[in-house]
Order: sequence, then C-alpha cells, then structure tokens
Amino acid sequence: MLGYTITQWLFGVLSLMAIMFALMVVFTRNPVNSVLYLVLTFFCIAGHYLLLNAQFLAVVHIVVYAGAIMVLFLFIIMLMNLNADTEPRKHIVTRVIAGCIGGVLLFVMVGALKGAEQLQLVQGGSSQIGLVKNLGKVLFTEFLFPFEIASILLLSALVGAIMIGKREKTVEEIGN
Amino acid sequence: MKGLFILSGLGILAMLAEIFKFKKVLYPLVLIGIIVAYALGFTEWNANFNIPMFSNMIRFDNVALAFSGVILATSFFWFILANDYFEKDHITDHFALVLFALVGALMLTAFSNMTTLFLGIEILSIPMYVLAASRKRDLASNEAGFKYLIMGSFASGFLLFGIALIYGATGSFDLMAIRAYISHNGSELPAFFYAGVLLVLVAMLFKVSAAPFHFWAPDVYEGSPTVITALMSTIVKTAAFAAFMRLFLVTFGGVNETWGMILSVVIALSLVVSNITAAAQQSVKRMLAYSSISHAAFMLMAILANNRGMASVSAILYYSLAYSIGSIAAFTVVYHVSKEENGSSNLEAFNGLAKRHPLMAVCMTVAMLSLAGIPVTSGFFAKYFVFSLLIGTSFNWLIILAILTSAVGVYYYFKVIIAMYFKAPAKHDGITIDSSHAVLLLLTTLITIALGLVPNFVIEIFG
Repeated sequence: MLGYTITQWLFGVLSLMAIMFALMVVFTRNPVNSVLYLVLTFFCIAGHYLLLNAQFLAVVHIVVYAGAIMVLFLFIIMLMNLNADTEPRKHIVTRVIAGCIGGVLLFVMVGALKGAEQLQLVQGGSSQIGLVKNLGKVLFTEFLFPFEIASILLLSALVGAIMIGKREKTVEEIGN
Repeated sequence: MKGLFILSGLGILAMLAEIFKFKKVLYPLVLIGIIVAYALGFTEWNANFNIPMFSNMIRFDNVALAFSGVILATSFFWFILANDYFEKDHITDHFALVLFALVGALMLTAFSNMTTLFLGIEILSIPMYVLAASRKRDLASNEAGFKYLIMGSFASGFLLFGIALIYGATGSFDLMAIRAYISHNGSELPAFFYAGVLLVLVAMLFKVSAAPFHFWAPDVYEGSPTVITALMSTIVKTAAFAAFMRLFLVTFGGVNETWGMILSVVIALSLVVSNITAAAQQSVKRMLAYSSISHAAFMLMAILANNRGMASVSAILYYSLAYSIGSIAAFTVVYHVSKEENGSSNLEAFNGLAKRHPLMAVCMTVAMLSLAGIPVTSGFFAKYFVFSLLIGTSFNWLIILAILTSAVGVYYYFKVIIAMYFKAPAKHDGITIDSSHAVLLLLTTLITIALGLVPNFVIEIFG
C-alpha cells in the first residue's frame, strides 16, 4: 500500500493515535475523561512495544499501567469528587510563557530527531528479545545489581506511603 | 561497596525494630553502623581501584570512596544533630527512610551505568519527599513534601528522556562505552545525542537546585523540619554533585562545547539571583536555602573547568566537605533558636544570642564566616581552589562575578552575626542544649578551622 509495509502503516497509525490521545489528556477539562484518554494512550504505546517484539513488556504495560494504576487514579478522582470542571483557569501571561517554553522544547526535539532515520542502527534487535526467558536472563546477569537495588527503592516508597498515610493518634488517645 | 550493603542492612534492621521491639538500641546501632561503613571504606582505598563490579554497574574507585567518606562523616554528624527527631512518632520509619536515602547517596557517588544513576537518584529522592512532609500536622511541611515530589518527578522525567536519547545514539547505558563512543566519532555525533546530554543537564541542575531550576528550593527548605533541611543541604547536595561530576566531568567531557556555555550562564544566573534574594530574606532558614543555591553555583564552576582533571575533583570534594560541615553547625544553631521561638527562624530570634548562649553564638559566627568565605575558615579555601581552576580560561568573567556576589553574601551572613552580638535580646533567659549538641557544635567548628589550616590534607588526597 503506497509503498509502505504493514508494519510501517501500523506504526504510523499507532503513533498518530498515541499523540492525539496524549494531547486530549492535557486539553480535556474533566479529570475523569483525562484519565480515560491516558488509558487509551497506554494501549497505543503497548502496541508500539508489540511492534518492537517486546511482547512481555506490552502485556505488563497494559496490566500494570492501564489496569492497576489507572484504576487507582479513577478511584482517587471519584473519592475526591473531582469529576466537575474545577480546574481554575491560569492567567494568560502564564499560559503564553508556558506555551513558549514547551514550544522551544518541541522545536529542539524535532530538530534533533530530524535526519535520524538515516543513521545506522547501533544495536540491532533480535526477534527473541522480548521473550520472558531472555528478559529474565538479562535481569539476573548483566542487570543483577540494579534489579536487586530496585527493591530498596520499592521498600522506601512503601515505608514512606505508610508513614504519610497512617492515621495519627488524636490528642484524646494520647491522653489516655 | 561494603558501606552500601551495611547501610541497606541497617535500613531493613530499622524496620524490624518496630516488630521485635529494640527501638531503644537502634540509635546507637545506626551510629556504630555508620562508623563501620566509614572504616570499611579505608580498606577499599586503592584496593579495588578500577575493578568494575556487577557487570560494571557500580565502581567504587578512590573518587567514589572519598565522596562516600564525606557523605558518611556528614551523616554521622547529622544523626547526632537529629537525635530529637528520632524520639517522636514513627521512629523506625524515619530511621529506615534516612538510611535508604543514604544508600541512594552512596550509589550516586559510585554509579558507572545510567541505570544505577537513575535508581540512585530515585532511592535518594523518594525518602526525601516523604521526610520533607514528615511533620504531618504542619501545612508548610505538607506543602514542602508535595512541591518537592511534583518538581522532582518532573526532573526525573527529563533525566529518563535524556538517558533514552543517549542510549538511542550510543546503544549503551555504560558510562565508559558512552565516553568511548564520544571520543570515537567526535565530529559526527547525531543531533539527538546532544539533545539527550542537555536533558540530562537540566535534570541534574534541578537536583542541585541551580537557577533557573531553583524555584522549589526555598519553599521546600523552609517548610521541611529543620533537621531534614540540614540533610537536604548537606548529604543530598554532596551526592548530587558527585553524580554531576561523574557525568559531565568524565562521561560527557568530550562534548563540553555543548554544555559549557549553558552551564556558565546557569552559574552566572545562580550567583546573581541567589545572593540578591538571600539579602532580602527575613527568615534565616530561607536565607540558608538561597545561600545553598549560590554554593551550588561555586561547585558548578569547578565542573566548568573540565580540562583540569583531578584538580577539579578534589576542589569539589573540598568544597562539599567544607560546605557540609559548616551547614551542619549552622543548622544545629538554627534548630535550637527556632525551637526556642516556637518554630520561627526569623532574624529577630537571633538577637542577643551571644548573651543567651555564648557557645552557640561563637559556633554560628565561625559557620557564617566559613559560608561567606572569610580567610582561615575552610570556606575561604574552598572558593580559592575553585577560582584557581578557572583562572586563565575563557571564564575569567565568572570569577569577577563570583567575587562581587560573594561581597553581597558577606552582607547577609554578617546580618546574623550582628544580630547575635549587637542587638538586645527579647528574652534574657539562657538556652539549654544537649551536651551531645554542644560537642557537635565544637567538633564541627574545629573541623571548619582545621580544614582551613591544612587544606592540602584533602586537596592532595588523590595523590
């Protein structure tokens, strides 16, 4: 079709959808809609992982992000009753400055990535790369240290969440 | 390396203390653990120089060991300062979080792979976000924690984006491989590699709170509990600079035209903005926050002089040691004064401190002189070594700017000294402090002066 392969078509469509949904996340004024668009963005990115032969990553991405974390997000928004358009409008000067700075970053990124398609691949991917077996092998050999030390990161996040979230003793309880 | 394991183990032990009820012995246990970790660092000195560990994920060479030494020594002093902090609620949680933050700090001194860099930054940051918000009933503390979390996550996003672009160009996370890649095809690097380096630069500038990425720092420093502010401005800063140095002095040294000019503008902005705003502050804690931005600019100047090799490294080492020790002394005094004044650290609270507690006034004076960079104290030599690195390069104008803004710095540091000695106190009753804090004050003051008398002890540490 038009000189492009199926993969290239898929890549183009998925990218377009991912960018569109990501923009909708920012532009929607209703937080619930915003979260739902974020879920759609995650699905598009999972599609990209599939195109890159990273099947395991794609599944984990959907289960963890689109599933667990987004549900948590929705819960919090509903519990805090944020589903109305409560976001205050920023001052016009703030919006113009923010737009300029974001635009400069976009300009730099587009400029930097222009012409990158002609570069030689530094690391060729193999079709087996995304299998759980290979992933596990890399995690337990080359990336053993980061893999183990990540447990400290998760542990400190856990302790922190409990510390912040735990109900303090009220004055009466301390008095008793 | 062994220090890293000991601190991780101590952190986990701290959490077990809640279950097995040995909270009382935890405090001495942690102090002993830090001393042991420090001592084990000596056995590794020169021993496994340049031996990569865990497929070159982490490398405790002499530079890493020296910076871990600074971090461990400062954390020992910090634990003495913070003994009150561990006597209220959530004792074991606080211990665990601080110890995990130290693990992250040690990783940042020794990483040799982008994955360990990212994990180190996150392990250091996440406990800090929580600790900043640890005074749960205080609105300012909540705000500090929240602001720090949002801004910090944003910076981490930049860091990840930068690492991804660099990986895209070089095909490796390994610092040595990236360095080899730069020197191998120096002239024809793809454009997005430079974009990646700049994104990493932005993230690191945020972590060291240099202008214009400093907006979070004053609010977070002021809102957090005073002891946590002391932790942020000493250990977090030292670790962030060790990482900054490893990245830009060693790994990205070959592309310094890309980041050199930007860094010099950032330094100039930091010097001007921080010193002028600090002069207008009424709260001493907030003033110290702005002063930490200006000290960050000085340490960045040493990184800017990237062709001086080990001289830059030892200048940063000396600067971070002098600054950390001076800050611990200053924050100990601020802690006691603000406790006396129900949490306020305004300049008026320091009025007549010399009459109420002469020792604190003397130690605060030495700390302020050191931070201002007055001779004989270590702060003077710290600045002197940085200037000597930059003299003769194309950045001479920065030295002139730094000296001019330092003069402004002298003004606001002396405001504290004048308040302590020449203003009449509002209350006349004396302040009592722990004997351990008195020893801590004496010790940090002596080290500040001793480092100024024999600076070569640190400067020539790498031989």
